[in-house]
Amino acid sequence: MFSIFAILSCEKDDICIENTTPNLIIRFYDNDNQTEAKQIVLDSVWANNKENIYKNETIDSIIVLPLDLSQNNTLFKFSSNSIEDEINFTYDRNDIFVSRSCGYKTIFENLQIDSNSTNWIKNISINNTIIENDTAAHITIFH
Amino acid sequence: MTQRHILLFFINILFTITVISQEEQDTIKVKENYGIRVGVDLSKPITSFLETENKGLEIVSDFRILKNYYAAVELGFLDKTTSEDYINFTTKGSYIKAGFNYNAYENWAGMNNEIYVGLRYGFSLFNQTLNSYTPNVNGTYFIPETLEPNTEFNDLTAHWVEFVFGMKVETLKNLYLGVSISFNNMISTTEPENFKNLHIPGFNRVFLNNTGVGFNYTISYLIPIIKKNK
Repeated sequence: MFSIFAILSCEKDDICIENTTPNLIIRFYDNDNQTEAKQIVLDSVWANNKENIYKNETIDSIIVLPLDLSQNNTLFKFSSNSIEDEINFTYDRNDIFVSRSCGYKTIFENLQIDSNSTNWIKNISINNTIIENDTAAHITIFH
Repeated sequence: MTQRHILLFFINILFTITVISQEEQDTIKVKENYGIRVGVDLSKPITSFLETENKGLEIVSDFRILKNYYAAVELGFLDKTTSEDYINFTTKGSYIKAGFNYNAYENWAGMNNEIYVGLRYGFSLFNQTLNSYTPNVNGTYFIPETLEPNTEFNDLTAHWVEFVFGMKVETLKNLYLGVSISFNNMISTTEPENFKNLHIPGFNRVFLNNTGVGFNYTISYLIPIIKKNK
C-alpha cells in the first residue's frame, strides 16, 4: 500500500516544467532601414547599480534581460563602443498562478519607456506592452 | 432369523438417530449481529500529534443493511498547511462521504470479518488561504521577495467519487480494526481565482489529473441492535 502511495505521490506536478516569469527581449534594428536587423557590439549591459548581464558580446539579433520584480521600473544601461545609453522601463506587475511546483510567475503589463538617452540609440519602439512570454521581442532598439 | 432382524432394526435406528443428531448440529442457528458500527480514523489524530500544521479528525460509521452490504458514512474535518517550493497555503474545512461496502469475504460460522470493496460520494466545504508565495524566476539577477498576501478563498466546494478497498477484523467482541485505501476522482470543484485547490479535506492532495488517494486505519465498535439468523 505504501509503495502504491509512493508511486502516486511522484507525479509530474512535483517538478516545475511550465514557463515562469518572462524576461524582457530587446532586438536591434538598423535605423536607416527599419525593417532590417543590425549587428551591434555591446561592451556591457547592466541594470543600474548591479553587475553586468552581457559583457563584450556581438549581438546579431536579440538580448534577454530580467526585470526587477520588486519595483515597477528597471533602469538598464547599455554600453556600445564605450558610448553609454540608458533606458528606464516602467511596468505594472501581475502575479499569475502556474502550478503546485512552479507557484506564481510575474507578468509585466503596461510596459512603457519612462526616459532614455540617445547617444548611440537612435530610436526605440515598443512592440508589445505586455510581457508574458519569452517568444518574441518586446522592444526594438534602432541604431 | 427374527432375532437377527430385530438387532438390525435397532442398529438402523441408532444410526439414523446419530446421523440426524449430527445433522442437527450442522444446522445450529448462528446468530449474526446487525447494528451500527462507529469508529475513528486512527491515522488523523496521530498525524495531528506529529505535525503541528496538520490537524484532522474523521468519524467512520457503517450499518449492515443486507447480508453482504453495508451502508457507510465518514465525517471529518481538516486544518492543514502545505508548504511547497514557491507557495505556502492552508486548507481548512469539513467533509462527508456516503456510500456502501460489499463484503466479498465468506466468514466461518461465528466470525465477522470483512474484505470489501466500496463506493462513496464525497463532498467538502472548505476555505483556502494563500499564506505566502515567492514569484518563480529563472536566474538570480533580481532576487524576488516573498510576499505574504494571506488571501482567503472562502466557501469553496468539491464533489467526488471514491473507490474503496479495505478489510475489517473483529479483534475483540464487537471491536473492529480496519484498514482501507481509496482512489478518488473529482467530479467538480469551485476553484479559487488565480489559485488552485491543491488539497481538499477528505479528498487529500489533488493530483494534476484531478485524482486523489486516501488511507484509513480505523478502530470501531459495533453496537448490536438486532440479531439475525445467518
